[in-house]
Amino acid sequence: MVKEIERAGIPVVHVATVVPISMTVGANRIVPAVAIPHPLGQPDLGETEEKQLRKDIVEKALIALQTDINEQTVFSDDKE
Amino acid sequence: MQLELGKIKIEDIQFAAETKVFDSTLFINQEELLEIIGEDSRITNINLDIVHPGDSVRIIPVKDVIEPRVKVKGPGGVFPGFISSEEMVGSGRTHVLKGAAVVTTGEIVGFQEGIIDMSGPGAEYTPFSRFHNLVVDCDVKENIKQHEHEEILRMVGLKTASYLGKAAKDVEPDELETYEHKPFVEAAADYPSLPKVGYVYMLQSQGLLHDTYVYGVDAKEILPTLMSPTEIMDGAILSGNCVSACDKNATYVHQNNPVIEELYKYHGEKYNFMGVIITNENVTLADKERSSNFTAKLAEMLGLDAAVVSEEGFGNPDADLIMNSKKLAAKGIKTVLITDEYAGRDGASQSLADADPSADAVVTAGNANEVITLPPMEKVIGHQNFADVIAGGFDGSLEADGSISVEIQAITGSTNELGFNNLTARIY
Repeated sequence: MVKEIERAGIPVVHVATVVPISMTVGANRIVPAVAIPHPLGQPDLGETEEKQLRKDIVEKALIALQTDINEQTVFSDDKE
Repeated sequence: MQLELGKIKIEDIQFAAETKVFDSTLFINQEELLEIIGEDSRITNINLDIVHPGDSVRIIPVKDVIEPRVKVKGPGGVFPGFISSEEMVGSGRTHVLKGAAVVTTGEIVGFQEGIIDMSGPGAEYTPFSRFHNLVVDCDVKENIKQHEHEEILRMVGLKTASYLGKAAKDVEPDELETYEHKPFVEAAADYPSLPKVGYVYMLQSQGLLHDTYVYGVDAKEILPTLMSPTEIMDGAILSGNCVSACDKNATYVHQNNPVIEELYKYHGEKYNFMGVIITNENVTLADKERSSNFTAKLAEMLGLDAAVVSEEGFGNPDADLIMNSKKLAAKGIKTVLITDEYAGRDGASQSLADADPSADAVVTAGNANEVITLPPMEKVIGHQNFADVIAGGFDGSLEADGSISVEIQAITGSTNELGFNNLTARIY
Protein backbone atom coordinates (compact mmCIF):
# COMPACT_ATOMS: atom_id res chain seq x y z
CA MET A 1 0.00 0.00 0.00
CA VAL A 2 2.87 2.33 0.88
CA LYS A 3 4.42 1.81 -2.54
CA GLU A 4 1.17 2.18 -4.48
CA ILE A 5 0.28 5.48 -2.77
CA GLU A 6 3.76 6.81 -3.45
CA ARG A 7 3.48 5.70 -7.07
CA ALA A 8 0.51 8.07 -7.29
CA GLY A 9 2.84 10.89 -6.24
CA ILE A 10 1.83 11.19 -2.60
CA PRO A 11 4.66 10.82 -0.06
CA VAL A 12 4.06 8.20 2.63
CA VAL A 13 5.49 7.50 6.08
CA HIS A 14 5.37 3.88 7.09
CA VAL A 15 4.95 3.57 10.86
CA ALA A 16 6.04 -0.03 11.43
CA THR A 17 7.35 -2.19 14.24
CA VAL A 18 9.45 -4.55 12.16
CA VAL A 19 11.63 -2.02 10.37
CA PRO A 20 13.60 -4.65 8.40
CA ILE A 21 10.40 -5.85 6.69
CA SER A 22 9.51 -2.25 5.90
CA MET A 23 12.98 -1.85 4.36
CA THR A 24 12.61 -5.09 2.37
CA VAL A 25 9.26 -4.08 0.91
CA GLY A 26 10.72 -0.73 -0.10
CA ALA A 27 9.15 1.94 2.11
CA ASN A 28 11.08 5.21 1.84
CA ARG A 29 10.22 6.99 5.08
CA ILE A 30 10.01 4.65 8.07
CA VAL A 31 9.10 5.53 11.66
CA PRO A 32 9.58 2.66 14.14
CA ALA A 33 6.46 1.67 16.10
CA VAL A 34 6.19 0.18 19.60
CA ALA A 35 5.18 -3.47 19.12
CA ILE A 36 3.23 -5.58 16.64
CA PRO A 37 0.06 -5.97 18.74
CA HIS A 38 0.09 -2.28 19.70
CA PRO A 39 2.07 -0.21 17.16
CA LEU A 40 1.16 3.18 18.64
CA GLY A 41 0.34 2.15 22.19
CA GLN A 42 2.15 0.91 25.26
CA PRO A 43 -0.12 -0.84 27.76
CA ASP A 44 2.63 -0.72 30.43
CA LEU A 45 2.35 3.07 30.60
CA GLY A 46 -0.25 5.17 32.38
CA GLU A 47 -2.94 6.91 30.32
CA THR A 48 -1.19 10.29 30.20
CA GLU A 49 2.19 8.83 29.32
CA GLU A 50 0.69 6.60 26.64
CA LYS A 51 -1.12 9.53 25.06
CA GLN A 52 2.15 11.47 24.98
CA LEU A 53 3.90 8.48 23.39
CA ARG A 54 1.25 8.30 20.67
CA LYS A 55 1.55 12.01 20.05
CA ASP A 56 5.35 11.76 19.82
CA ILE A 57 5.16 9.01 17.21
CA VAL A 58 2.58 10.85 15.12
CA GLU A 59 4.57 14.08 15.29
CA LYS A 60 7.70 12.26 14.27
CA ALA A 61 5.80 10.81 11.32
CA LEU A 62 4.60 14.28 10.30
CA ILE A 63 8.16 15.61 10.44
CA ALA A 64 9.36 12.63 8.39
CA LEU A 65 6.72 13.41 5.80
CA GLN A 66 8.17 16.90 5.33
CA THR A 67 11.80 15.81 5.27
CA ASP A 68 13.62 15.56 1.94
CA ILE A 69 15.35 12.22 1.53
CA ASN A 70 17.60 10.62 -1.09
CA GLU A 71 17.38 7.03 0.11
CA GLN A 72 15.30 4.76 2.37
CA THR A 73 15.41 6.50 5.74
CA VAL A 74 14.51 5.29 9.24
CA PHE A 75 13.50 8.16 11.54
CA SER A 76 14.47 6.70 14.91
CA ASP A 77 15.96 8.05 18.12
CA ASP A 78 18.95 5.79 17.65
CA LYS A 79 20.63 4.41 20.72
CA GLU A 80 24.39 4.91 20.49
CA MET B 1 23.59 -36.65 29.22
CA GLN B 2 22.05 -39.85 27.91
CA LEU B 3 18.39 -40.60 27.34
CA GLU B 4 16.86 -43.94 26.51
CA LEU B 5 13.51 -43.75 24.74
CA GLY B 6 11.50 -46.93 25.14
CA LYS B 7 8.79 -47.04 22.53
CA ILE B 8 5.70 -49.11 23.24
CA LYS B 9 3.62 -49.67 20.13
CA ILE B 10 -0.05 -48.79 20.53
CA GLU B 11 -2.40 -50.22 17.90
CA ASP B 12 -5.73 -49.61 19.63
CA ILE B 13 -7.29 -47.57 22.45
CA GLN B 14 -10.37 -48.74 24.39
CA PHE B 15 -12.25 -47.62 27.47
CA ALA B 16 -12.06 -50.26 30.21
CA ALA B 17 -12.27 -50.81 33.96
CA GLU B 18 -8.54 -50.37 34.46
CA THR B 19 -5.96 -48.10 32.79
CA LYS B 20 -3.20 -50.32 31.41
CA VAL B 21 -1.32 -51.35 28.32
CA PHE B 22 -1.82 -54.93 27.20
CA ASP B 23 -0.98 -56.51 23.87
CA SER B 24 -0.40 -53.14 22.11
CA THR B 25 -3.78 -51.84 23.31
CA LEU B 26 -4.12 -48.87 25.64
CA PHE B 27 -7.05 -49.38 28.00
CA ILE B 28 -8.38 -46.30 29.75
CA ASN B 29 -10.46 -46.05 32.93
CA GLN B 30 -12.61 -43.12 31.91
CA GLU B 31 -13.94 -42.29 35.40
CA GLU B 32 -10.50 -42.24 37.00
CA LEU B 33 -9.11 -40.01 34.23
CA LEU B 34 -12.06 -37.60 34.42
CA GLU B 35 -11.61 -37.29 38.15
CA ILE B 36 -7.98 -36.24 37.71
CA ILE B 37 -8.38 -33.84 34.80
CA GLY B 38 -11.71 -32.37 35.86
CA GLU B 39 -10.54 -31.08 39.23
CA ASP B 40 -10.22 -27.44 38.09
CA SER B 41 -13.36 -25.68 39.38
CA ARG B 42 -13.51 -23.53 36.23
CA ILE B 43 -14.31 -26.65 34.15
CA THR B 44 -18.02 -27.40 33.63
CA ASN B 45 -17.88 -30.53 31.47
CA ILE B 46 -15.45 -32.90 29.76
CA ASN B 47 -16.29 -35.45 27.05
CA LEU B 48 -13.84 -38.14 26.07
CA ASP B 49 -13.87 -39.78 22.63
CA ILE B 50 -11.59 -42.37 21.11
CA VAL B 51 -10.94 -42.03 17.38
CA HIS B 52 -8.92 -44.23 15.06
CA PRO B 53 -7.23 -43.78 11.67
CA GLY B 54 -9.83 -44.19 8.93
CA ASP B 55 -12.82 -43.21 11.11
CA SER B 56 -15.33 -40.83 9.53
CA VAL B 57 -14.61 -38.22 12.19
CA ARG B 58 -13.75 -34.53 12.14
CA ILE B 59 -12.24 -32.84 15.21
CA ILE B 60 -12.64 -29.05 15.24
CA PRO B 61 -11.31 -26.72 16.63
CA VAL B 62 -8.19 -28.60 17.73
CA LYS B 63 -6.04 -26.86 20.32
CA ASP B 64 -3.11 -29.19 20.97
CA VAL B 65 -1.90 -32.73 20.37
CA ILE B 66 0.26 -34.40 22.99
CA GLU B 67 2.11 -37.72 23.14
CA PRO B 68 1.80 -39.71 26.39
CA ARG B 69 5.24 -40.29 27.91
CA VAL B 70 6.51 -41.22 31.35
CA LYS B 71 9.85 -40.93 33.09
CA VAL B 72 10.97 -44.40 34.14
CA LYS B 73 14.53 -43.83 35.35
CA GLY B 74 16.61 -40.77 36.11
CA PRO B 75 15.90 -37.27 37.36
CA GLY B 76 12.75 -35.26 36.81
CA GLY B 77 9.52 -36.12 35.05
CA VAL B 78 7.59 -35.25 31.92
CA PHE B 79 6.45 -31.65 31.24
CA PRO B 80 8.77 -30.03 33.80
CA GLY B 81 7.48 -26.80 35.26
CA PHE B 82 3.86 -27.89 34.78
CA ILE B 83 3.30 -31.55 35.64
CA SER B 84 6.72 -32.32 37.13
CA SER B 85 9.12 -30.19 39.13
CA GLU B 86 11.74 -27.87 37.64
CA GLU B 87 14.31 -30.69 37.81
CA MET B 88 16.38 -30.90 34.60
CA VAL B 89 15.14 -33.64 32.26
CA GLY B 90 16.69 -35.37 29.26
CA SER B 91 18.60 -38.19 30.91
CA GLY B 92 17.71 -41.63 32.22
CA ARG B 93 14.88 -43.49 30.58
CA THR B 94 11.51 -42.36 29.24
CA HIS B 95 8.72 -44.59 27.92
CA VAL B 96 6.52 -43.53 25.04
CA LEU B 97 3.08 -44.76 23.98
CA LYS B 98 3.90 -44.70 20.28
CA GLY B 99 0.83 -44.45 18.09
CA ALA B 100 -1.40 -42.88 20.75
CA ALA B 101 -2.07 -39.17 21.20
CA VAL B 102 -4.18 -36.81 23.28
CA VAL B 103 -6.11 -34.21 21.25
CA THR B 104 -7.67 -31.26 23.09
CA THR B 105 -10.67 -29.37 21.79
CA GLY B 106 -13.40 -27.11 23.11
CA GLU B 107 -14.93 -23.75 22.46
CA ILE B 108 -11.47 -22.34 22.79
CA VAL B 109 -10.56 -18.88 21.55
CA GLY B 110 -12.77 -19.18 18.50
CA PHE B 111 -10.19 -18.40 15.86
CA GLN B 112 -6.85 -19.75 14.74
CA GLU B 113 -7.52 -23.30 15.81
CA GLY B 114 -7.36 -26.33 13.58
CA ILE B 115 -9.09 -29.28 11.97
CA ILE B 116 -8.14 -32.95 12.14
CA ASP B 117 -10.01 -35.29 9.79
CA MET B 118 -9.41 -38.96 10.55
CA SER B 119 -10.24 -40.04 6.96
CA GLY B 120 -10.72 -38.57 3.50
CA PRO B 121 -8.56 -35.95 1.76
CA GLY B 122 -8.13 -33.86 4.93
CA ALA B 123 -6.55 -36.82 6.73
CA GLU B 124 -3.71 -36.78 4.21
CA TYR B 125 -2.85 -33.21 5.15
CA THR B 126 -2.66 -33.67 8.91
CA PRO B 127 0.04 -35.86 10.46
CA PHE B 128 -2.26 -36.57 13.43
CA SER B 129 -4.81 -38.66 11.50
CA ARG B 130 -2.50 -41.66 11.67
CA PHE B 131 -2.68 -41.98 15.45
CA HIS B 132 -5.20 -43.51 17.81
CA ASN B 133 -6.39 -40.33 19.49
CA LEU B 134 -8.09 -39.74 22.81
CA VAL B 135 -10.04 -36.55 22.19
CA VAL B 136 -10.67 -34.39 25.25
CA ASP B 137 -13.53 -31.96 24.63
CA CYS B 138 -13.56 -29.54 27.55
CA ASP B 139 -16.12 -26.85 28.42
CA VAL B 140 -15.43 -24.07 30.89
CA LYS B 141 -17.58 -21.62 32.83
CA GLU B 142 -18.91 -18.56 31.09
CA ASN B 143 -16.93 -15.34 31.53
CA ILE B 144 -13.61 -17.16 31.62
CA LYS B 145 -11.06 -14.94 29.86
CA GLN B 146 -9.45 -16.34 26.72
CA HIS B 147 -5.94 -16.62 28.20
CA GLU B 148 -7.37 -18.45 31.23
CA HIS B 149 -9.33 -20.74 28.93
CA GLU B 150 -6.12 -21.55 27.07
CA GLU B 151 -4.36 -22.36 30.34
CA ILE B 152 -7.18 -24.65 31.50
CA LEU B 153 -7.14 -26.60 28.25
CA ARG B 154 -3.35 -26.74 28.17
CA MET B 155 -3.28 -28.25 31.67
CA VAL B 156 -6.11 -30.69 30.88
CA GLY B 157 -4.11 -31.94 27.89
CA LEU B 158 -0.87 -32.28 29.84
CA LYS B 159 -2.57 -34.02 32.75
CA THR B 160 -4.29 -36.47 30.39
CA ALA B 161 -1.03 -37.29 28.57
CA SER B 162 0.78 -37.68 31.88
CA TYR B 163 -1.96 -39.96 33.28
CA LEU B 164 -1.92 -42.17 30.17
CA GLY B 165 1.88 -42.17 30.07
CA LYS B 166 2.00 -43.76 33.53
CA ALA B 167 0.39 -46.88 32.03
CA ALA B 168 3.65 -47.38 30.11
CA LYS B 169 5.85 -47.37 33.18
CA ASP B 170 6.27 -51.13 33.70
CA VAL B 171 5.71 -52.23 30.12
CA GLU B 172 8.60 -53.76 28.19
CA PRO B 173 9.22 -51.45 25.19
CA ASP B 174 9.06 -52.78 21.63
CA GLU B 175 12.00 -50.56 20.70
CA LEU B 176 14.71 -48.92 22.73
CA GLU B 177 16.64 -45.97 21.31
CA THR B 178 19.52 -44.20 22.99
CA TYR B 179 20.34 -40.53 22.47
CA GLU B 180 23.45 -38.98 23.92
CA HIS B 181 24.46 -35.36 24.34
CA LYS B 182 28.01 -34.84 25.57
CA PRO B 183 29.61 -31.78 27.15
CA PHE B 184 30.56 -29.44 24.30
CA VAL B 185 34.33 -29.79 24.64
CA GLU B 186 34.10 -33.58 24.49
CA ALA B 187 31.55 -33.49 21.71
CA ALA B 188 33.77 -31.22 19.60
CA ALA B 189 36.80 -33.49 20.17
CA ASP B 190 34.88 -36.64 19.17
CA TYR B 191 34.76 -35.92 15.44
CA PRO B 192 37.40 -33.26 14.73
CA SER B 193 37.21 -33.75 10.96
CA LEU B 194 33.43 -33.36 10.68
CA PRO B 195 31.62 -30.03 10.39
CA LYS B 196 30.01 -28.90 13.63
CA VAL B 197 26.27 -28.46 13.10
CA GLY B 198 23.77 -26.91 15.49
CA TYR B 199 20.03 -26.50 15.50
CA VAL B 200 18.44 -23.08 15.98
CA TYR B 201 14.93 -23.83 17.26
CA MET B 202 12.70 -20.76 16.96
CA LEU B 203 9.75 -20.80 19.37
CA GLN B 204 6.51 -18.90 18.84
CA SER B 205 6.34 -16.20 21.53
CA GLN B 206 4.23 -13.34 20.18
CA GLY B 207 1.94 -13.43 23.19
CA LEU B 208 -1.85 -13.01 23.08
CA LEU B 209 -2.28 -16.80 22.90
CA HIS B 210 0.78 -17.26 20.70
CA ASP B 211 2.95 -18.79 23.42
CA THR B 212 5.45 -21.58 24.01
CA TYR B 213 6.76 -22.72 27.37
CA VAL B 214 10.24 -23.90 28.37
CA TYR B 215 10.43 -25.63 31.76
CA GLY B 216 7.31 -23.66 32.65
CA VAL B 217 8.74 -20.29 31.53
CA ASP B 218 6.97 -18.30 28.84
CA ALA B 219 9.47 -18.28 25.94
CA LYS B 220 8.96 -14.56 25.33
CA GLU B 221 10.77 -13.98 28.62
CA ILE B 222 13.88 -16.01 27.83
CA LEU B 223 17.15 -14.99 26.30
CA PRO B 224 18.21 -17.56 23.71
CA THR B 225 19.88 -20.44 25.47
CA LEU B 226 21.44 -23.85 24.96
CA MET B 227 19.58 -27.10 25.42
CA SER B 228 20.35 -30.75 25.05
CA PRO B 229 18.13 -32.26 22.36
CA THR B 230 17.20 -34.97 24.86
CA GLU B 231 15.55 -32.42 27.17
CA ILE B 232 13.06 -31.61 24.42
CA MET B 233 12.09 -35.30 24.14
CA ASP B 234 10.95 -35.19 27.80
CA GLY B 235 8.53 -32.34 27.15
CA ALA B 236 10.75 -29.45 28.34
CA ILE B 237 9.23 -27.38 25.53
CA LEU B 238 5.47 -27.37 25.08
CA SER B 239 2.79 -25.50 23.24
CA GLY B 240 0.43 -22.87 24.60
CA ASN B 241 -0.10 -21.72 21.10
CA CYS B 242 -3.36 -20.96 19.34
CA VAL B 243 -1.91 -19.53 16.11
CA SER B 244 -2.60 -20.82 12.62
CA ALA B 245 -3.06 -24.53 12.91
CA CYS B 246 -0.96 -25.49 9.91
CA ASP B 247 2.39 -24.28 11.18
CA LYS B 248 2.21 -24.12 14.95
CA ASN B 249 4.22 -26.78 16.73
CA ALA B 250 1.86 -28.92 18.75
CA THR B 251 3.41 -30.32 21.92
CA TYR B 252 3.54 -33.70 20.13
CA VAL B 253 5.79 -32.14 17.49
CA HIS B 254 8.13 -30.65 20.10
CA GLN B 255 8.39 -34.10 21.72
CA ASN B 256 9.10 -35.70 18.33
CA ASN B 257 11.03 -32.93 16.57
CA PRO B 258 12.03 -34.45 13.20
CA VAL B 259 14.92 -31.97 12.79
CA ILE B 260 16.48 -33.30 15.98
CA GLU B 261 15.85 -36.92 14.99
CA GLU B 262 17.39 -36.34 11.57
CA LEU B 263 20.41 -34.51 13.03
CA TYR B 264 21.01 -37.48 15.34
CA LYS B 265 20.68 -39.91 12.43
CA TYR B 266 23.90 -38.86 10.70
CA HIS B 267 25.70 -37.55 13.80
CA GLY B 268 29.30 -38.79 13.74
CA GLU B 269 29.03 -39.79 10.12
CA LYS B 270 28.21 -36.71 8.04
CA TYR B 271 28.54 -34.03 10.73
CA ASN B 272 28.93 -33.47 14.43
CA PHE B 273 25.55 -32.49 15.95
CA MET B 274 26.55 -30.14 18.75
CA GLY B 275 23.22 -29.21 20.29
CA VAL B 276 20.22 -26.93 20.23
CA ILE B 277 19.94 -23.16 20.59
CA ILE B 278 16.38 -22.17 21.46
CA THR B 279 15.27 -18.65 20.63
CA ASN B 280 12.00 -16.74 20.47
CA GLU B 281 9.87 -14.62 18.12
CA ASN B 282 8.84 -11.55 20.10
CA VAL B 283 6.79 -8.55 19.05
CA THR B 284 9.20 -5.67 19.45
CA LEU B 285 12.09 -4.88 17.16
CA ALA B 286 14.50 -4.59 20.11
CA ASP B 287 13.59 -8.13 21.24
CA LYS B 288 14.00 -9.47 17.72
CA GLU B 289 17.41 -7.83 17.38
CA ARG B 290 18.57 -8.95 20.84
CA SER B 291 17.43 -12.55 20.40
CA SER B 292 18.98 -12.94 16.96
CA ASN B 293 22.21 -11.35 18.28
CA PHE B 294 22.28 -13.86 21.14
CA THR B 295 21.52 -16.74 18.77
CA ALA B 296 24.43 -15.87 16.48
CA LYS B 297 26.71 -15.31 19.48
CA LEU B 298 25.85 -18.71 21.02
CA ALA B 299 26.42 -20.39 17.64
CA GLU B 300 29.82 -18.74 17.44
CA MET B 301 30.69 -19.74 21.03
CA LEU B 302 29.83 -23.35 20.13
CA GLY B 303 32.18 -23.13 17.16
CA LEU B 304 29.42 -24.10 14.72
CA ASP B 305 30.23 -24.43 11.03
CA ALA B 306 26.59 -24.69 10.05
CA ALA B 307 23.10 -24.46 11.53
CA VAL B 308 19.61 -25.63 10.67
CA VAL B 309 17.10 -22.91 11.57
CA SER B 310 13.38 -23.70 11.91
CA GLU B 311 10.63 -21.08 12.13
CA GLU B 312 7.28 -21.38 13.90
CA GLY B 313 4.33 -19.50 12.47
CA PHE B 314 4.57 -16.86 9.76
CA GLY B 315 4.38 -13.13 9.12
CA ASN B 316 6.52 -11.11 11.48
CA PRO B 317 8.46 -14.24 12.61
CA ASP B 318 9.78 -14.24 9.02
CA ALA B 319 11.77 -11.17 10.18
CA ASP B 320 13.27 -13.20 13.07
CA LEU B 321 14.10 -15.99 10.62
CA ILE B 322 15.88 -13.63 8.25
CA MET B 323 17.72 -11.86 11.11
CA ASN B 324 19.00 -15.25 12.32
CA SER B 325 20.04 -16.12 8.77
CA LYS B 326 21.89 -12.82 8.21
CA LYS B 327 23.64 -12.77 11.58
CA LEU B 328 24.74 -16.42 11.42
CA ALA B 329 26.00 -15.88 7.86
CA ALA B 330 27.92 -12.79 8.99
CA LYS B 331 29.84 -15.02 11.42
CA GLY B 332 30.69 -17.44 8.62
CA ILE B 333 28.13 -20.03 9.75
CA LYS B 334 26.23 -21.66 6.90
CA THR B 335 22.49 -21.99 7.33
CA VAL B 336 19.58 -24.01 6.06
CA LEU B 337 16.21 -22.44 6.87
CA ILE B 338 12.96 -24.37 7.24
CA THR B 339 9.75 -22.41 6.76
CA ASP B 340 6.41 -22.59 4.97
CA GLU B 341 4.83 -20.23 2.45
CA TYR B 342 1.88 -17.86 2.21
CA ALA B 343 2.13 -17.41 -1.50
CA GLY B 344 -1.56 -16.84 -2.24
CA ARG B 345 -4.08 -19.37 -3.46
CA ASP B 346 -2.37 -19.53 -6.86
CA GLY B 347 1.11 -19.67 -5.31
CA ALA B 348 2.22 -16.62 -7.27
CA SER B 349 2.75 -14.11 -4.43
CA GLN B 350 5.85 -13.45 -2.34
CA SER B 351 6.15 -16.41 0.06
CA LEU B 352 7.67 -14.72 3.11
CA ALA B 353 7.31 -11.25 4.61
CA ASP B 354 11.08 -10.72 4.56
CA ALA B 355 14.02 -11.90 2.47
CA ASP B 356 17.79 -11.66 2.26
CA PRO B 357 20.49 -13.05 -0.06
CA SER B 358 22.00 -14.98 2.89
CA ALA B 359 18.89 -17.19 2.85
CA ASP B 360 20.21 -19.25 -0.05
CA ALA B 361 19.23 -22.71 1.24
CA VAL B 362 15.57 -22.87 2.24
CA VAL B 363 13.28 -25.83 2.72
CA THR B 364 9.54 -25.23 2.38
CA ALA B 365 6.83 -27.20 4.15
CA GLY B 366 4.16 -26.12 1.65
CA ASN B 367 1.90 -23.22 0.67
CA ALA B 368 -0.64 -22.64 3.47
CA ASN B 369 -3.00 -20.65 1.19
CA GLU B 370 -3.96 -23.59 -1.00
CA VAL B 371 -7.68 -24.31 -0.82
CA ILE B 372 -9.16 -27.73 -0.15
CA THR B 373 -12.71 -29.02 0.22
CA LEU B 374 -13.19 -31.44 3.09
CA PRO B 375 -16.22 -33.71 2.59
CA PRO B 376 -18.72 -34.14 5.43
CA MET B 377 -17.90 -36.67 8.16
CA GLU B 378 -20.34 -38.96 9.96
CA LYS B 379 -19.26 -37.57 13.31
CA VAL B 380 -18.01 -34.15 14.36
CA ILE B 381 -16.27 -33.75 17.70
CA GLY B 382 -16.11 -30.19 18.96
CA HIS B 383 -17.77 -27.25 17.25
CA GLN B 384 -17.88 -27.15 13.44
CA ASN B 385 -19.48 -23.70 13.41
CA PHE B 386 -15.93 -22.39 13.94
CA ALA B 387 -15.04 -23.35 10.34
CA ASP B 388 -15.95 -19.86 9.08
CA VAL B 389 -13.74 -18.05 11.58
CA ILE B 390 -10.63 -20.16 12.13
CA ALA B 391 -7.53 -18.89 10.33
CA GLY B 392 -7.72 -20.31 6.83
CA GLY B 393 -11.51 -20.37 6.94
CA PHE B 394 -13.78 -17.71 5.48
CA ASP B 395 -17.41 -16.69 5.45
CA GLY B 396 -19.23 -19.60 3.83
CA SER B 397 -16.51 -22.18 4.53
CA LEU B 398 -19.06 -24.48 6.17
CA GLU B 399 -21.62 -25.84 3.70
CA ALA B 400 -25.11 -27.00 4.71
CA ASP B 401 -24.13 -30.65 4.12
CA GLY B 402 -21.22 -30.36 6.58
CA SER B 403 -18.45 -30.10 4.00
CA ILE B 404 -15.87 -27.39 4.56
CA SER B 405 -13.83 -25.41 2.05
CA VAL B 406 -10.76 -23.91 3.66
CA GLU B 407 -7.18 -22.96 3.03
CA ILE B 408 -4.95 -25.78 4.29
CA GLN B 409 -3.83 -23.23 6.89
CA ALA B 410 -6.83 -24.47 8.89
CA ILE B 411 -5.61 -28.08 9.02
CA THR B 412 -3.57 -28.95 12.10
CA GLY B 413 0.06 -29.53 11.18
CA SER B 414 -0.40 -29.37 7.40
CA THR B 415 2.62 -27.12 6.76
CA ASN B 416 4.57 -27.85 9.93
CA GLU B 417 7.92 -26.09 9.75
CA LEU B 418 9.82 -28.87 11.50
CA GLY B 419 8.91 -31.21 8.65
CA PHE B 420 6.40 -33.12 10.78
CA ASN B 421 3.99 -33.05 7.86
CA ASN B 422 3.36 -34.62 4.50
CA LEU B 423 4.08 -31.66 2.20
CA THR B 424 7.13 -30.14 0.63
CA ALA B 425 8.20 -28.69 -2.72
CA ARG B 426 10.93 -30.08 -4.89
CA ILE B 427 12.53 -28.84 -8.07
CA TYR B 428 12.73 -31.51 -10.76
